Amino acid sequence: MAGNERVAICNGGIFRPDLWHGENAEEGVAIAYQELLKNVPNLTADDIDALCMSYFSDHLNGQLCMGWIIQDYLGLHNKPGYRVESGGSTSIDALVNAYYMIKSGMFDVILIPGWEWMCEVSVAATNEMIASAADTDWDFPVGGYYNAFYAALQVRHMQLYGETCEDLGRIAVKNHNNSTHWPYSQWVSQHGTSPITLDDYWKNRLVCWPYKVLNCAVMSEGACVLLMATESKARRFTDTPMWITGVGLGTDSMRPGDRTADFAYEGMKNEAKIYPDFVEPIKTPYPDMANFASLHIAAKRAYPQAGITNPLKELDLVELFTPYDGVELCLWEDLMLCPRGEGKTMIREGVVDYGGECPSNLSGGLTASGHPVGATSLYYTLFLYWQLAGKIKEKCGPNGLQVQDARKALITGHGGTGCQGAVITFERD
Amino acid sequence: MTEIGVEEKKLKVRKIKRTRREAKYKHYPMVEDHSTAAQEYWEPIVNTGLWSIKGYQIVKGPWGGGTVEEALKRKPKEFMVIDRAAFALYSHSYGLVSPFFRGLLEEKLKGTKCPKCGTVYCPPRAHCWNPKCKVADCEWVDLPLTGVIHTFTVQCLAAAPFEHQLPFSMGWVKIDGADTTLAMMLHIAPKELFIGQKVKIKFIPKEQRKGDLTDCYAVAVPGQKVPEWACLQKDPKELESLKASMKKTIEFIKKRYGIDNNPEVRGW
Repeated sequence: MAGNERVAICNGGIFRPDLWHGENAEEGVAIAYQELLKNVPNLTADDIDALCMSYFSDHLNGQLCMGWIIQDYLGLHNKPGYRVESGGSTSIDALVNAYYMIKSGMFDVILIPGWEWMCEVSVAATNEMIASAADTDWDFPVGGYYNAFYAALQVRHMQLYGETCEDLGRIAVKNHNNSTHWPYSQWVSQHGTSPITLDDYWKNRLVCWPYKVLNCAVMSEGACVLLMATESKARRFTDTPMWITGVGLGTDSMRPGDRTADFAYEGMKNEAKIYPDFVEPIKTPYPDMANFASLHIAAKRAYPQAGITNPLKELDLVELFTPYDGVELCLWEDLMLCPRGEGKTMIREGVVDYGGECPSNLSGGLTASGHPVGATSLYYTLFLYWQLAGKIKEKCGPNGLQVQDARKALITGHGGTGCQGAVITFERD
Repeated sequence: MTEIGVEEKKLKVRKIKRTRREAKYKHYPMVEDHSTAAQEYWEPIVNTGLWSIKGYQIVKGPWGGGTVEEALKRKPKEFMVIDRAAFALYSHSYGLVSPFFRGLLEEKLKGTKCPKCGTVYCPPRAHCWNPKCKVADCEWVDLPLTGVIHTFTVQCLAAAPFEHQLPFSMGWVKIDGADTTLAMMLHIAPKELFIGQKVKIKFIPKEQRKGDLTDCYAVAVPGQKVPEWACLQKDPKELESLKASMKKTIEFIKKRYGIDNNPEVRGW
């Protein structure tokens, strides 16, 4: 046991996200675990020191302590194991916690099963249960869905920095078309592999202005299992370890409305001068109800660990947690891939497209490929693992969007309206 | 496929006795009671839930791992799906900021002020969150019934308790004199909404108030023009698309609830 060793993701297994599965959660996790065991043939139960389990909701399935069922079902119930939960950031938080567990020196090999079965109750009820992660005294009683909260954040950002609905449409088209190249995608299961256009976007139904259905994350059921290990163990499981080079966590106010006097972030990214003249001054001009300070500070914590000084130049691709498309645009700014207010140029100039300088969400992401909360960041971490290992064509077929010689990548995850977020950077040998 | 469901037995439900609730609040005698009627309505409903199985369906479809294509190629399997209901009724305290919600009942807006840094909070905080103030106790201040829209959205989808009101606007309003912003309903026609718009805070009729944020709402101070920089109105295509979506939503609500939510009908 050596907490000072490097830590790697050493492969994983997927049970693809979909709107509904006949299998229940433990069977879905078992199928993902079967795939991991196939991908890592010499992995045995004896190798696994502990489990870090990722699932968000107890009320979606009416089952407390689901983690015990999973450990039992996989036959790993003699291992140390516990559940991580933090709303939308649950699955990235599980990765962060597993990393901390290894870094503590207590464990060498951690199994990270993540799942969510979100479609047992009606979509309306799921939305409402998710919205109970918002402040139920102060935010939920007004309209009651995250769609509205995120839409309002995006409206403020649009007003401050001038991106348009068409930019949001471009992001939606990019993500859905990327998703058609990922054969495990929910969009592919529900809608096939035909590309969509901006015209389709304009015809799409509005949810909360400016967000249309195509801009919003889907409801999913699905599971993913990742294997994380110290350097000395990782080499036994994989020839292409994906090293974790930086881990940053951040939090922000529970209520987005309080971010106009967000003292914990006072002085951070203090670019009040780029506010247009018509905007009335507020106590703390960053993050305002526009950007995501939790992820900005997470990136500022992760980049120095990874030795990253120019993220746009150094990162070959990024997988961003984007429950709504405007979040992706804001995160390009908050992760310092572009200056504050310049997110719109990233999409307009194709910087984030396949073939661009820093492709963003080549998997299709949460709005297209799937968002079973507890598995979400695990899927997209595994997608990055395949990218850095150069295995996308092998896993996705000839149409897979492999980034040539991808070496460094990043993933984000967050919960609430950016109430908690994490950034993890990866690198291959 | 059959459409026959399991016949539901009418359960005799247990009523919550008022004395039981009084016992719960042993050290907090009831000063006012506007909840027993709601409890009497909801308790029987929630007590019929509790994880018991109500019915089932058999469905047939794909199974197993791999890609979408691989799963669809396998011979489908049958799955049994059960219906399970579970509810609860929560008695939740608004805590030390209860005076804000009592204020709403009396058509007043209250905030809190930190005696150290002077920040005015609305939503109120009982304790200042400025790290320099070391969680100082805040003092109550009366706030005016005016403010400015900090940001907004137009909802064509909402949670069940608000669905019949669709489409509607909500947003965060910076009450004059406060440093934080308060979420509330905006009774303003979407085509007239903009960030920076001055608003007045109004209240729903007294007998309908429950002491929550939907007791109040904002209306535009008359005589304001939509500025040319306003993000919603800048692009005519966007306004058209919003109008079309709202029309569909209004039709849906009319069909489902028999309510006409046209902005004109609402007097927005």
